[in-house]
Amino acid sequence: MSSRDLVLIALFAALVAVLGMIPPVTIGFLPVPITAQSMGVMLAGCILGARRGALAFLLLILMVAIGLPVLSGGRGGLAILAGPTAGYIFGWVAGAFVTGLLAERMVRESQNGPRQILGFALAALVGGIGVVYLFGTLWLAYAKGIALPAVLIGQLPFLAGDLLKVAIAALAARSVMVGYPLLPQRG
Amino acid sequence: MIASLYVEGRTPFHRLPAGAKLLLLVLVGIGLAFLHSPWVLGGALVICAMPYVLLRLPFSETRRRLGLMVLTVLLLGLATAWFESPLAGLVACLRILALVLLAAAVTATSEIADMMAAVTRAMMPLERLGLIKAQDVGLALGLALRFAPEIAGRHQALVAAHRARGLKPRWCHILPALIVLTLKEADEVARAIDARGLRGHKASDR
Repeated sequence: MSSRDLVLIALFAALVAVLGMIPPVTIGFLPVPITAQSMGVMLAGCILGARRGALAFLLLILMVAIGLPVLSGGRGGLAILAGPTAGYIFGWVAGAFVTGLLAERMVRESQNGPRQILGFALAALVGGIGVVYLFGTLWLAYAKGIALPAVLIGQLPFLAGDLLKVAIAALAARSVMVGYPLLPQRG
Repeated sequence: MIASLYVEGRTPFHRLPAGAKLLLLVLVGIGLAFLHSPWVLGGALVICAMPYVLLRLPFSETRRRLGLMVLTVLLLGLATAWFESPLAGLVACLRILALVLLAAAVTATSEIADMMAAVTRAMMPLERLGLIKAQDVGLALGLALRFAPEIAGRHQALVAAHRARGLKPRWCHILPALIVLTLKEADEVARAIDARGLRGHKASDR
């Protein structure tokens, strides 16, 4: 791995930790406050690509595991990784990877703006929501013995906020691509 | 800025090596999955909670560390009791809480440096296979810790700059700026690392 990749991974993990420190906002019609942190999954995939994006989140999990409170709301430690929502946290690694994989294949620098934003949004939707929710659901239902309908209903309130994050992440990823393109392009 | 969750103390759990505690946690996690009787799980919960209780943390601190999670567990347990059976809900709650409390105790009684040393040792087999370099993991971790306060400061500066111009700071305006600044900084740091040869002579395999 080049030094540049290593530093990009480290600084992006730091950025995701900082996103966790921004106080969550409540938006009128949404029942749960939304945090900026899980947007990091979509951003990491869309901006760093599959491999570096996933490694940034592995590094973040390592920070959590050794006892640093880098998750939103100052949470951290092994309790989180053993707890009910750990599936979502581990899902972030796979989510960033899938987001990156799709973004690398769908978004080209030669495309026009709206096309790029749409590509990023699709990648973030599949990776940042689909994959992450899949991991979280499977963990709760099969590793923790929570009834499947309870899990599905329980995560509904978060879906609206996460769709909003897809939109913000896609716009941000496109701005970054214009200002500082890093995404590895694949044919 | 990122204060660790370690708590000073002299409990017996403090004296166990970090690696042993991590191994214990993994074994307990596997073991709990095989228990199904609520009585046995209740006993396991009492035993697993002991190291945490012995820390004698004030209630406010415990609420900050575990409050949200305990609430989530109880809600999910209630929902499971409704959809499946009260017994299934109780068993899930007891099992999750036991592991979570033990894990919280491991984190609270192990210093970051000891944890990192244990993780590095655990990575040795992977390093021998040539999959990762433990030294690189340590460097990446150090960089992330070193630059998190800077990135947080830059975020605050961006918010202040928006306010000073009478703009409402919005994520869709602030995020791209914050990310581009961070990526530019990453390039500078990478050049500095290579210029100083911090990763040995093979560092420039780009």
